[in-house]
Amino acid sequence: MASNLFIVVVGCGRLGSHLANRLSRAGHGVVVIDRDEQAFRNLSAEYSGFRVEGDATELAVLKQAKVDQADLVIATTRDDNVNLMVTQVARAAFSVSRVLARVFEPTRKPIYRRLGIESICPTSVAAELFLESMAATRSLEDSA
Amino acid sequence: MEASCGKEPVLIVDDEKNIRLTLTQALEAMELDTDTAVNGEEALAKLADKPFGLILLDLRMPGMDGMEVLRRVRQTRPDIKVIIITAYGSIESAVEAMKLGAVDFIQKPFAPKEIRGLVTKVLNRDTLQAAKAKGYGTHIELAKKCIQQQQFEAAQEHTRQAIAADATRPEAFNLLGVLLEMSGNKLEAQKNYRAALALDPTYKPADENLSRTTGLTAGGGISLGR
Amino acid sequence: MKVLIVGGGKPVYFLCRTFLAKGHEVTVINRDQQECVQMARRLKVTVVHGDGSDQRILEEAGAHGADAVLAITPNDQDNLAICQLASLQFQVPRAVALVNDPDNEAVFQKLGVAAFSTTRTIASLIEQRTALDEITNLIPAAEGKVNITEVRLPADSPVAGKSLRDLALPAHSLIAVILRNGQALVPRGDTQLQVGDRIVLITLPVNHGQALKAITGEES
Repeated sequence: MASNLFIVVVGCGRLGSHLANRLSRAGHGVVVIDRDEQAFRNLSAEYSGFRVEGDATELAVLKQAKVDQADLVIATTRDDNVNLMVTQVARAAFSVSRVLARVFEPTRKPIYRRLGIESICPTSVAAELFLESMAATRSLEDSA
Repeated sequence: MEASCGKEPVLIVDDEKNIRLTLTQALEAMELDTDTAVNGEEALAKLADKPFGLILLDLRMPGMDGMEVLRRVRQTRPDIKVIIITAYGSIESAVEAMKLGAVDFIQKPFAPKEIRGLVTKVLNRDTLQAAKAKGYGTHIELAKKCIQQQQFEAAQEHTRQAIAADATRPEAFNLLGVLLEMSGNKLEAQKNYRAALALDPTYKPADENLSRTTGLTAGGGISLGR
Repeated sequence: MKVLIVGGGKPVYFLCRTFLAKGHEVTVINRDQQECVQMARRLKVTVVHGDGSDQRILEEAGAHGADAVLAITPNDQDNLAICQLASLQFQVPRAVALVNDPDNEAVFQKLGVAAFSTTRTIASLIEQRTALDEITNLIPAAEGKVNITEVRLPADSPVAGKSLRDLALPAHSLIAVILRNGQALVPRGDTQLQVGDRIVLITLPVNHGQALKAITGEES
């Protein structure tokens, strides 16, 4: 990853805050957006980025967070529809070159693909890892 | 004159650690000599010690607030350049800051690129004084510089000269509106914002100033335009 | 027409009634069980209980055969998802989304979703910027691309007594109709404007201020 990017993270839950902390520590400029002020407590004490309290489905909030300057927007809210909307708006209205969305519901992945939005589905990822782990254990048992 | 520009030491004054860190990191890339202060008192102490050329100052700080710092700084260092750091929607106080000579504002959050661009522009502003005053763009920059140095009469003069140079562009009218607003003449100010918009309905700073003064939007700052 | 509406509350109820009265077939998708039961009882509509942005629910509601989908939930992100699914997955010919945040109207259009904003319509009815009593009924039409305004010609207007061809109206503006003494005139070049005329003006937003100024003489 290039150094000193300007990254906007939408959603300050467990995933969002974790990403924000790591990215900020790596020296990138980070802005975190969350509707709920309490969510910012998830950020570490060393977090050196910005916080914007507001609903990311409002264009004005994205403007406030300077999404137009972002190199990357990551949508990590718990609502797939919000993540889908924010990443699309970031691209269409603010010409952000790279957007990433978390999507929980695996059946939604085709539509994300259709719309050209890169997505990460924790459910599918976890399922894959579980299956891999099972396969590994089984082959261990087989050879035992 | 040229040589001294762009390399003057910069003082960052903000109570929030992340802002001090972000700004220091951003300006590091410009090879500027930076120092930080966590509050007004520390800022004034450091200013007495070192010939800083530029302060990045947050208006909202506990204890001595940014406005008070600015007032005191102006007494001992009227020439020092100031960039005000504001929070979103906080800027009725911008008018007051402008009366103390601050014309440049940056709103949180900001990208590193943004603050670097603004600092470069502000640090280079002195070279304009050496240049002969001609051309619309120059007059606009000079007008802003005069506002910085609280020479409001001269600022108005430059705005008018800009209009004389080119009456079809919105920037000068917007600036004139701002000067009028600062002298307490809101109605006249609005006329100028409207004039700016009539010339260019897409000129956002005038639109923002007009919305702000007609009370349609909550918050929002004084827009001077780029 | 087969219309699918996603949403609830009074707006949806009255919309259903309107569509039914016009002879259309209506299906409603709503997340609230109670509301679903009530609507099914009071109106001749098919009601599906569930999340309209869920493909399976849309399927159940017959999105495949729908002629139009209206997404009218309070959440712009859901309305967007519903319409995009409807168009891309179910090939519904007309999918329209309500945008609660008026700023989203333009973005939705960019994303290929027809959108409308009631906020903007209502706000423009009490538009303050012009500060003139003679100007009423500012109605944005054609998805905000056109303004239709009625202007009463004031006594001190610079164009009272002038003929239309002598008016310096800016580009993209048109005097469509003049209402005079209870009659509607379609004006021609030699039509003379009189004080008290109610002029129906069509403009593009970008020239709106200038057009008004040309007629009333006021800074706007």
